[in-house]
Amino acid sequence: MRELRWIVVFVCCVLGGVVAPATGAEPLRDVIDAQVTAGWKSNGVTSVEPSTDAEFLRRVYLDLLGIVPTYDEAVAFLNDTAPDKRSKLIDRLLEHPRYAVHQADVWDMVYFGRNPPGYGTDKREGFQNWLAEQFRSNRPHNVWAGQILRAEGNTVEQGPPMFFVQYSRRPEDAIEAVTQKFLGVQLQCARCHDHPFEGWTQLDFYGMAAYYSRLQVVNVGKKNKLTAYAIGELNRGEVLFTGSVSEQELGKKGTPVKPKLLGGEPFTEPELPEGFKEPRNFPSGKVPPAPKTSRKNALADWVTAADNPYFAKAAANRIWAQFMGKGIVQPVDNLADANPPSHPELLKQLTASLVEHKFDLKQFIREILNSNSYQLSSRGPVTDAMPLWYERARYRPLSAEELLESWMTVGGYNDALKVSGKEPEGRFRPRGITWDYVRRFFGRPNDGVGNFQGGLHEHLYLNNGQVHQLISKQTGSLYDTVAKSDQPWGKRVERMFLQILTRRPTVTETEKFVAHLSPADDPQGRLHEAIWTLMTCSEFRFNH
Amino acid sequence: MQGTCPRHEHVSRRSLLKGTLATASGASVLNWGGLFQSQAIAEAAKRKKKHCILLWLNGGCSQFETFDMKIGRSTGGMFRDISTNLPGARVCELMPAISQRMDKLTVIRSMRTSQIDHPGGIYLMHTGYARAANVRFPEMGAIIAKYCGSPEADLPDFVKISSQGNAGAGFLGPRYQPFSLGRDGNLPPFSTSQLTPEKESRRHSLRDFIEEQFARTHKADPARMHREAYDRARRLQNVRHVFDTDDEWAKYGDKYGNTKFGRRCMIARRLVEEGVSFVEVGQSGYDTHGDNFTGHKSLVPTMDRAWSALLDDLEERGLLQDTLVVWMGEIGRTPRINNRSGRDHYVRSWSTALAGGGVKGGLVYGESDQDGIDVKDNPVTEGDFFGTIYKALGVDPETENYSGVRPVPLAPFGHKVVTDILA
Repeated sequence: MRELRWIVVFVCCVLGGVVAPATGAEPLRDVIDAQVTAGWKSNGVTSVEPSTDAEFLRRVYLDLLGIVPTYDEAVAFLNDTAPDKRSKLIDRLLEHPRYAVHQADVWDMVYFGRNPPGYGTDKREGFQNWLAEQFRSNRPHNVWAGQILRAEGNTVEQGPPMFFVQYSRRPEDAIEAVTQKFLGVQLQCARCHDHPFEGWTQLDFYGMAAYYSRLQVVNVGKKNKLTAYAIGELNRGEVLFTGSVSEQELGKKGTPVKPKLLGGEPFTEPELPEGFKEPRNFPSGKVPPAPKTSRKNALADWVTAADNPYFAKAAANRIWAQFMGKGIVQPVDNLADANPPSHPELLKQLTASLVEHKFDLKQFIREILNSNSYQLSSRGPVTDAMPLWYERARYRPLSAEELLESWMTVGGYNDALKVSGKEPEGRFRPRGITWDYVRRFFGRPNDGVGNFQGGLHEHLYLNNGQVHQLISKQTGSLYDTVAKSDQPWGKRVERMFLQILTRRPTVTETEKFVAHLSPADDPQGRLHEAIWTLMTCSEFRFNH
Repeated sequence: MQGTCPRHEHVSRRSLLKGTLATASGASVLNWGGLFQSQAIAEAAKRKKKHCILLWLNGGCSQFETFDMKIGRSTGGMFRDISTNLPGARVCELMPAISQRMDKLTVIRSMRTSQIDHPGGIYLMHTGYARAANVRFPEMGAIIAKYCGSPEADLPDFVKISSQGNAGAGFLGPRYQPFSLGRDGNLPPFSTSQLTPEKESRRHSLRDFIEEQFARTHKADPARMHREAYDRARRLQNVRHVFDTDDEWAKYGDKYGNTKFGRRCMIARRLVEEGVSFVEVGQSGYDTHGDNFTGHKSLVPTMDRAWSALLDDLEERGLLQDTLVVWMGEIGRTPRINNRSGRDHYVRSWSTALAGGGVKGGLVYGESDQDGIDVKDNPVTEGDFFGTIYKALGVDPETENYSGVRPVPLAPFGHKVVTDILA
């Protein structure tokens, strides 16, 4: 039945030349499948089969909650015979408390990356908690993105100003980051020379940078034991343009550039009253007063307006890529003419749907996850991590956060803690683990263009490092459960596979593991090795 | 890339080379496999590879107390100069050993760089680029590892020994992260297996099985990369003896001056001999804002002896012609001597030196003015310097890598290779 609908849509697309308006009754998930299928057809690509329940289960847990399911959750889902169990699971996970926590982790990396510039940006719980709250209450994306750009309040009690703390007194860096992260526009080339392909000139760049020429990071004192910062905006101050880098000379003073939107009008601001005075720097310890006219807020309004030519498209593309691996425009922060989308019509429809539903991210994510395209298998001959035509599910490495919390789940660290009646000491603080190492060895697994690279240090840590501390032997842990079980080894191996890899073992795997585990010499070592093997193998390392 | 049998079952190229090379040095070692018909082929295979050793003088060594003395000027300081084996060139009396090896060095006395503080300078003189908010530039070591290293090697291709450097592999990715040894050449955390070889092998066979099961049905690159990196970590265990240098130190300690820095230099030579592409060796303490002369008097002779021994040792083993030895810190020091007998940070005019593979040797390039305040001729920027180093190692400095959508050349845009000093 569903297939038939696809064909109808496909024929409509091709014959009609234009696609039905996004406001049509067509659910977005069906639009996605029709467009992706059309891409396979016109490019002669064969897709793989749909995912198994086990593949889907692990993928959707990691994508929505950033953690693998527990043994009980896995068994319950795999045994469920309801035909709509996948869609129900998606709904349930979207309301799970960890949904907000994990999405905040993902977007925190978008805005800050692993080692952000700027003093104090490494301690940004205020921002992270605020971000999680946006997802918990499912606030419209354009609203909270606008709040980051308005940067009101302080970095601890409110949170959003932390973004600009990265770019203290560097308006050029700030505008590079804002245009890339919020609009998918790469202006940085035009910082030093007119952009070679996109038609941006250096004056365009400095016209945009001028919006941030008056920002200052102000230390406003300690709150909750953390230093809080606010973003102050002066009434004066311009960026200076010194011409092309190739023509620059030492000591040459630039000319001030007035703010002007990309492809838009110059910004008009009323003259300051005669004799207006203000200090050159905001004093620390005091909340900086608002300026008479805020350039920063004017730019925030323009960026997040529903009719901004880039914002919605950039957001739709980025969120699509978060779940589908590759952006329809890839990389996701380069929506340039020279970098065309693989599925232009689909990007148009996704963007329209996001705008139509007022940037409701849960609705948007629900549609993507319910599509057959998202639910393909990760098996198959294609070698790309992120296949161009979405003919196979994508592979992405688990983040440092996902790895540690998933290890804590599968080794039974959390279960053992529960049995002993103790509370975890914080998200990334299991006993015997140095979070800093996990972050260092697993925090940046990709090269500059997003390809996974195995690092030597990652494996030294896995082979010889603290990860062994997470194979807990406490009551309630996986080790303890398996060691004390009186079930036959085959059953116990199944338990280990379900708990760690979220699937049942194959016959061959059961045989091999039983043969490894059953000999009487060194049973403890053997069990530890088997758990370690499943926790460190490629199948575990990736979300696929 | 991947053949029909797993990579770790192959004999690595390095161990093959070692087999034959040991024969070359006279020991009776089985030429197992017999894959190399003659020593000449093995030697040729080894020769083709370029190496680089960076001697990093952390804090910023003074040009006035080394290669750019200003005798009789108010900026000159308290040391005398001595003649060298290069006619007309004179160096500080603290470097008697180097003075007799000036025919091997190319000294640049006209460095002019852009970052005057330590973190900025350390970043700059490791990457060739000033720090930027939105791009993570790779260190020279990561670049050399990528372009001069061999993927099949058992040893890591970028090793640091007690040195600084705050950029790491940057956008080149974790494959090129440095492997960092401690002050005495000790291994970094987690490099030692806690298992007996039998247990390690038992564990490995189970892991290998599960990887193979997955690889049968899942062909995606990331999983393959993950397996290859695991193999590298395992292969490292096969060559751990390379890092155990006690025996060799007992033999060569005197030559290198019996200092920690000397030992690090000897380890660097050993690693290069074993095929490592890039080794960085650190010596700390040059930030002499106070007591510059006492500071240099205690540091430079150590460095002089170790550096000279390293050059000799490389040459005796036929390695110097393929190994570029770079000598530098992140900054130079001020001409003005402050009221604590110190010299502060200075980047308008300072000195670095190169030796070995790819450069001429016996050359002093560039000149500062009579007080060492500014460069008089042939200024060399950080970009020029990095471009020249890459060129000397046979790597095109214009080669681009990508950080997101931005193409980034190895040496910054606008640099000029100093061809006058290239061999």
